[in-house]
Amino acid sequence: MSRTITENTFNFEVNATAGDARTGTLHVNGTRLKTPNLFPVMNFYAGGTENSVYGGGVHRTMKEFMIGAERVSVDPLTNYFDATMMSVSSLTDYNLTRKRFEAYLDTPIKERELFEPFEGTVFADSGGFKFLNNAEIDGSDFEEDMDQRTVYQIQKQLGSDIIVNLDHPIAPDDSHQERVKKAERTAENIHTFLSLTRDFDGAQYLTLHGYNYSMMNEYLDVITDSVPQGVLHEGFDGIALGSLVPKKDDRGALIQAVTDCREVMAEWGMEDWPLHVLGISSRAIPILAALGADSFDSSTHIHNAINGKYSHSLMDHSPIKEADFSKCDCPVCQSDHLVNWMRGNTEYKKDILGPVAMHNLIVQKRELADIRNRIQQGGEDALVDYFEETFGRDRTMRQFAHQVVNQSLGGYF
Amino acid sequence: MKKSPKVNEVNEFLEIASDFEDPLEVIRESLSNSYDAGASEVKISIRNQPEGSDIIIEDDGHGMNERDLESFFDLGNSRKTDSIGYKGHGTKIFYKSDHIEVTTVRDGKSYRAVMEEPWEKLNRKELPKYELTKHSVRSGNSQTKIKITNFRSGKGFNAEELTYNKIHHYLKWKTIAGSLAHKFGEFQREMDIIVELDEDIDDTRDKLVTTNRLELPEEQEEPGDGRFPAERMCKHYPAEEIDVEYDGGETTVQIVGMVGGKKARNELPTYGKHSSQFGVWLAKDHIKVERHNEAISHDNEYIHFFFVANCQDIELSANRETIRNKSSSVYQAVTEEIEYYLSKVMQDPWFKEEYLQTRKEGKHRRRMANQQSSLKERRERIEADGFNPANSSEVLLGLERAVNGNASLTLSVEDFQPDADVHAIVRHAGRLRNAAVHPTLTGLLNEEVPLENVDLAVCWTQGDPAELKEYERNGYIGGELSVQLENGALVYRDGENHYTEVIEVKPLLESKVSATADD
Ligand SMILES: [Zn+2]
Repeated sequence: MSRTITENTFNFEVNATAGDARTGTLHVNGTRLKTPNLFPVMNFYAGGTENSVYGGGVHRTMKEFMIGAERVSVDPLTNYFDATMMSVSSLTDYNLTRKRFEAYLDTPIKERELFEPFEGTVFADSGGFKFLNNAEIDGSDFEEDMDQRTVYQIQKQLGSDIIVNLDHPIAPDDSHQERVKKAERTAENIHTFLSLTRDFDGAQYLTLHGYNYSMMNEYLDVITDSVPQGVLHEGFDGIALGSLVPKKDDRGALIQAVTDCREVMAEWGMEDWPLHVLGISSRAIPILAALGADSFDSSTHIHNAINGKYSHSLMDHSPIKEADFSKCDCPVCQSDHLVNWMRGNTEYKKDILGPVAMHNLIVQKRELADIRNRIQQGGEDALVDYFEETFGRDRTMRQFAHQVVNQSLGGYF
Repeated sequence: MKKSPKVNEVNEFLEIASDFEDPLEVIRESLSNSYDAGASEVKISIRNQPEGSDIIIEDDGHGMNERDLESFFDLGNSRKTDSIGYKGHGTKIFYKSDHIEVTTVRDGKSYRAVMEEPWEKLNRKELPKYELTKHSVRSGNSQTKIKITNFRSGKGFNAEELTYNKIHHYLKWKTIAGSLAHKFGEFQREMDIIVELDEDIDDTRDKLVTTNRLELPEEQEEPGDGRFPAERMCKHYPAEEIDVEYDGGETTVQIVGMVGGKKARNELPTYGKHSSQFGVWLAKDHIKVERHNEAISHDNEYIHFFFVANCQDIELSANRETIRNKSSSVYQAVTEEIEYYLSKVMQDPWFKEEYLQTRKEGKHRRRMANQQSSLKERRERIEADGFNPANSSEVLLGLERAVNGNASLTLSVEDFQPDADVHAIVRHAGRLRNAAVHPTLTGLLNEEVPLENVDLAVCWTQGDPAELKEYERNGYIGGELSVQLENGALVYRDGENHYTEVIEVKPLLESKVSATADD
């Protein structure tokens, strides 16, 4: 089956705000995504046959949920896959052959018959964080050098809706000189990226790196030394804020980075662009949303499952063995078949963890729907209540919740 | 056969009365009782007597009937159910006296109850009795007068130790007079409180007049001028009633308070050590009981905060100084809620960005001013005495200056470690040499620096020549020392000869100065 690709119809509109938080709609290539939203990291590839749904452990089960495969026997859970994040670098996770690699890229994801029910937005990142040290895809019988050209080729072949330039993320202990060098190399990639993507049908996000206003501002200064500001504005549709993963547990640092990023965006005339925060989610979701981030991606639902955690909310989880599945009304926990799996009655571990990961994702997606709903209620109260209800019992988080309420949602006193 | 455990009533009374030593506790008790009796005025007078103190408490409340008087004298027979005196222990404090007399008018009847020598009788293991007489009165003016003669306070609590200041502080911090209940819109009834002390006790004023309310210092959100710009800053945090669910029930916490600088806080009636009044108080009946300063995280000093969190479901120990049910789930839930609330206050931009910032700026300016005056002093000293090194770094500075003005001196400092025995490595005539650097040569020797690895001793001056002679006479760290300043050297012998060249910097600089003058 092939589908007609509509012309580049990128559009981002904000329809409600509460303090700095905003809800909006992201239209890309005929997909329509409510924001703020979470892009779960998906590995659409794996070892690679139709049989295994382009398989691979928990990822495989997630895809089976997405398309409603017979094995999991639930209807396609497409509404939790309205957005997905595909990492270009995940192609390195498997020891694939040149032949498989090429076969895999032969048909865009959404055009594969197998994934017919899936119509979500696909964000393909550049793999910058992974290619930084090892700039190639290392297959069992081939190597592919990764540069901006190759990365874009892959992003395009996947049929991505949102793509970013290949970047060089910074690390917390980078010297000033190293950061500038990385920005310069990213600027070269941006140059190439823009010349390659002229006829790309989708949204192009500009990577931005830095932990505070001055670092981000300098980054853009370096970029605009080789790519004029006007060209940036013409060529890009959104911002992807990167390099925060090493700081993911430092809430204060996240708050500063996102707050400063919005300030930098405003000063560089990008305030209407959507802001995606790369690689951060889970407990940080409400904070990011309140500060005005529009999307984020993560694989915590899978990591939590692998670590034996069953989520009750963004804040709480318990060991899978202690979970009371009857308390959850999600399609996974409502299925006797899947509950039986989660109780450990399966041959393969992935079949225990797969449904748990799906349940964990549903919990996150539902909370985001609640957050969007509260932003739309007008005024900040509903969102402030959310912080009150969710962070109250968490000593490590609440001071940041209170900081965000005071800083971005009108304050308490 | 079933048997009931027996209670020795006399011992019980003795025990309870002994728990209270402070005559101020009589006041706390009386104020609560008067308030409960609907009084609009309470007058307390205390007179010092050789055996103890005479205490008279009068109020215009609704008075007591026969049944109330029973409660007054009985043990465990209080008519209150939920507030502070529910165990009926409070009035038993009065038994530590020679004479108790209660006169009260209620519903057209006047009662007089007299108890003679209660303390002496209890100590004789005899249960004191009271004599009750009853009359009808024409006018229905209700009132109560309690007179306690020779109240025995414990050691250190003698009436003569009291002052109006101390009592005022006690009233506001430990009794219903320090209530913030009015902030919550309930409990609007006011009660005037008058305390009169014997002139022997405190003659600084006639009497103390106050109310049953604690007023917070006026708000001032803006910084002042002056050296401590944050000292009068003060912000009130509105009264908040929070419903708290806990394992087994539901309760309410009423919390209100302020954040402010020292000057603002000092407007609260405090006496003695101020730091022990501030922070976060847990209260019952709006009477402060115990602090829970853990509610304020470490990086915020609790002293800037004054918050009172009232909850009727905390339970007090017999002497009412501490909370008894700390291990209960209600206490846990309440303290958690208080911590949560205070976390909001600490994240309030006024506190974080105005108040703390103002304090920081004030501190910065004071530091600058102090620097200015100390720099001025140092400059004056230089003008008067010239360059005079006080430590090894300054000696090296002098050495650099000497080298600059003296072409024949080829010396440069390559490495400097102030904490090491051998401070510096210098390049001297092309060779790297180990240098111990001290303001005086005697200083170097006093510190017992091992000389085995010291090629150069750099000093400002040699120091006291007599001290050097002493080292030659008595030896140095198990060896012999010979000071040969005419050769510019120290020789240390501990079996081997160690030769240390001495460079005195002061003469080098002086020769430079005089050379410049000759030009
Ligand atoms: Zn579920």
